[in-house]
Amino acid sequence: MPGQFLNRSWLALLGLTLMQPAPAARSVSGSVTAPQGSPIADAVVFLQVPPPAPAGGQHPTALVDQVEKTFVPGLLPVVVGTYVRFPNHDQVQHHVYSFSPTKSFELPLYKGESAPPVLFDKVGVVKIGCNIHDWMSGIILVLPTPHFTVTDANGKYVLDDVPDGNYTLTVWHARSNVKPEDTARQIEGRDDVANVDFTLTLSPARARPAVHGSRADP
Amino acid sequence: MILARRASLRSAIFVAFSALILAVLLATLGVTQWLVGQDAVRELSKGLRTTGQVFASQLEERAIRLRTSSTLLASDFALKRVFATHFDPARYDAETLASAGLSYRQRLGVQLVWMTDEAGILLAASPAGKPLGQSLAATAPLKQAIDSQAAVTTIVEVDENLYQMVAVPVLGPDVIGFLMLGQIIDDPVAVRLKKDTHSDIAFLTASHLFASSWPALERPERVRSAAAQLAALPATSNGPDPVLLQSGHERLLSLAVPIEAHLSQPLYALIQGSYDAALAPLHALQWRIAAIGALGLAGALLTGMLLARSITRPVGTLVQAMREVLRGNLRHRAPVERQNELGFLASSFNEMVGGLEERERLKDTFGRFVSRDVAAAVLSGRVPMAGERLEVSILFQDIRGFSALAEKLDPAALLQVLNRFFTEVVTAVEAEGGVVKQFTGDGVMALFGAPQASADHVERAARAALGIVARVARLNVALQSSGTPPLQIGVGVHTGEVVAGLIGPDARVEYGVVGEPVNLASRVEALTKELQATILVSREVAARLGPRFVLGRSAFLPVKGRAEPIEVVELLAHPAGA
Repeated sequence: MPGQFLNRSWLALLGLTLMQPAPAARSVSGSVTAPQGSPIADAVVFLQVPPPAPAGGQHPTALVDQVEKTFVPGLLPVVVGTYVRFPNHDQVQHHVYSFSPTKSFELPLYKGESAPPVLFDKVGVVKIGCNIHDWMSGIILVLPTPHFTVTDANGKYVLDDVPDGNYTLTVWHARSNVKPEDTARQIEGRDDVANVDFTLTLSPARARPAVHGSRADP
Repeated sequence: MILARRASLRSAIFVAFSALILAVLLATLGVTQWLVGQDAVRELSKGLRTTGQVFASQLEERAIRLRTSSTLLASDFALKRVFATHFDPARYDAETLASAGLSYRQRLGVQLVWMTDEAGILLAASPAGKPLGQSLAATAPLKQAIDSQAAVTTIVEVDENLYQMVAVPVLGPDVIGFLMLGQIIDDPVAVRLKKDTHSDIAFLTASHLFASSWPALERPERVRSAAAQLAALPATSNGPDPVLLQSGHERLLSLAVPIEAHLSQPLYALIQGSYDAALAPLHALQWRIAAIGALGLAGALLTGMLLARSITRPVGTLVQAMREVLRGNLRHRAPVERQNELGFLASSFNEMVGGLEERERLKDTFGRFVSRDVAAAVLSGRVPMAGERLEVSILFQDIRGFSALAEKLDPAALLQVLNRFFTEVVTAVEAEGGVVKQFTGDGVMALFGAPQASADHVERAARAALGIVARVARLNVALQSSGTPPLQIGVGVHTGEVVAGLIGPDARVEYGVVGEPVNLASRVEALTKELQATILVSREVAARLGPRFVLGRSAFLPVKGRAEPIEVVELLAHPAGA
């Protein structure tokens, strides 16, 4: 199940593989492809480093917009401790919710920017939906690291500002059949520019049940 | 015999007619039975198949309703919230979930509500009883719903009951669990289906009856016959034809419709209609046909009878006419009533009898003026056409004083007397085998020995003369009592050779004799007046009479046309002939 990847054991493993950070500026790039070679977009590639302690109660912020009854972006990776705002730029109200154990919340019917930001204080996957519009669906991936990026349409990624040191590079995808920990690749500290390619097998994209399938109001 | 044949002809026509009608009637009944019976079974089978389709679509409808309502319910945000509690052990409360399930049962009118997590672990069940925490992921319809992440409906068995069950994912927004709803298929459902389709319906496998519209009393018998039907079903059969079952006293046409279900054995909906009830209109029809047929038969029998009679009645009339003719009534004619073969037969018969009558009339005519024997001999052709010489005896008779009598009596009385007289004379002549050849107004000329030859024609003629005298004497007694004067007669007899044969032109040909003896016989008779004798015979006759004849006076007398007198002898009596 896509929702199952960031379970507790994985988080435990994550804790064990953390390495010491080293101040440097280097980048890691590469691609994520399927075994047949087709590029995989929307894969999150991240370095497993501990997040910097919030300086003076400062939390990073991020934003999931609601435009034309769609969450934008549909996939939002954040570092744990990030406040995410859910502005509504539609003419209709939305009711954003999540039942995910990582972060369960509800933002009952609202419009504009009136909803308070939501703090994602646990590492894991948070699936968000709208109580009014069944088809609206999004994922907030709460990561233990600020060093992450998302593959583009060609499956390419570039991770800049990688600190010196040895790290584990991991890839996550909502439909990946491979557990993230099994994708972990070691990054040696001396490599200025590392090129790491991943291969993932994805579950077939499933059409949502008909009642959830339309983005248009009838 | 004739009557028997007539009767048998009538019977034959009648029986043939009746048999034909009866055969047509029976054939009609048979063909009707066959055709309508086939039709009834076909119609009933069609009805059952239609019912099967109606029923399948109702089942489908129920499934769609169930899926729709379950999907609707699964989209309910409150339900999603309730479901999501299982993510947090601190908030998960099976009892609360079950009570929510009870509320859903009431809302939707379903009998089962189960809730599982996204992996199929049972979180709550209403009604209670199912052990929580067990995985239903491998059981239908949840397995299919997990695989498809969509709502799936199927028929399953739960605690020996049949349920239409739906498993629908609860999305939040991804699958956070499955809601399962079960709607029971029980007897009331079957009864409702029966109300809609007018066919009995049962849901069963080869070994278990789940629900039916069968009356409780008939159930064991129905189950027994149904089990036999299912056992006989081909394994791969998809939509077999209805089969005829005997259930108790009733015959049923039974259609087994396979129902898609997840059971250990194939599930069937058995749709049954009463074969007997379907045939009832046929039986009513047959009664009507039989009634019409009986009327037709009666009509046909009547017609046949009339027809037979119309044929045999003229035949009978003809037979009557023939019998009438047989009795001698040649005047009888058969009525000609029709212009057909029978009419032709009757008129031919009439022509035939007319011919007979004409000949008889000719014979009578001969008989009246000559003699029946002559006529018969002539008609039979025994008389040679060329003529022949024969020795015959000739008898002349005359009424003496006839002219005076004729003047005294009125014509009618005269003819009456004459007729009575001639009757006596002819009877006496014919009694001796003679023939009256000629009537002379007040007398006759009779022949003996011709045309019928006889050896003793002389004695016959003599006895006939005596007979005439005796009969006239008796007639005179009768005439005297009515005041008529007695008739005096004279009789003369002579014998000799004459020429006999058919004399005269074709149309008027008659049998006759010519020769001197004829004239002489007439002379002998003429002498009776002179001698005051009643009977005179010639010497030739007297010489040949036997000793028993009593002779009287004799005399030689001159006669006209003869140079010499002739000898005549008076004949007085013949004791044996008297």
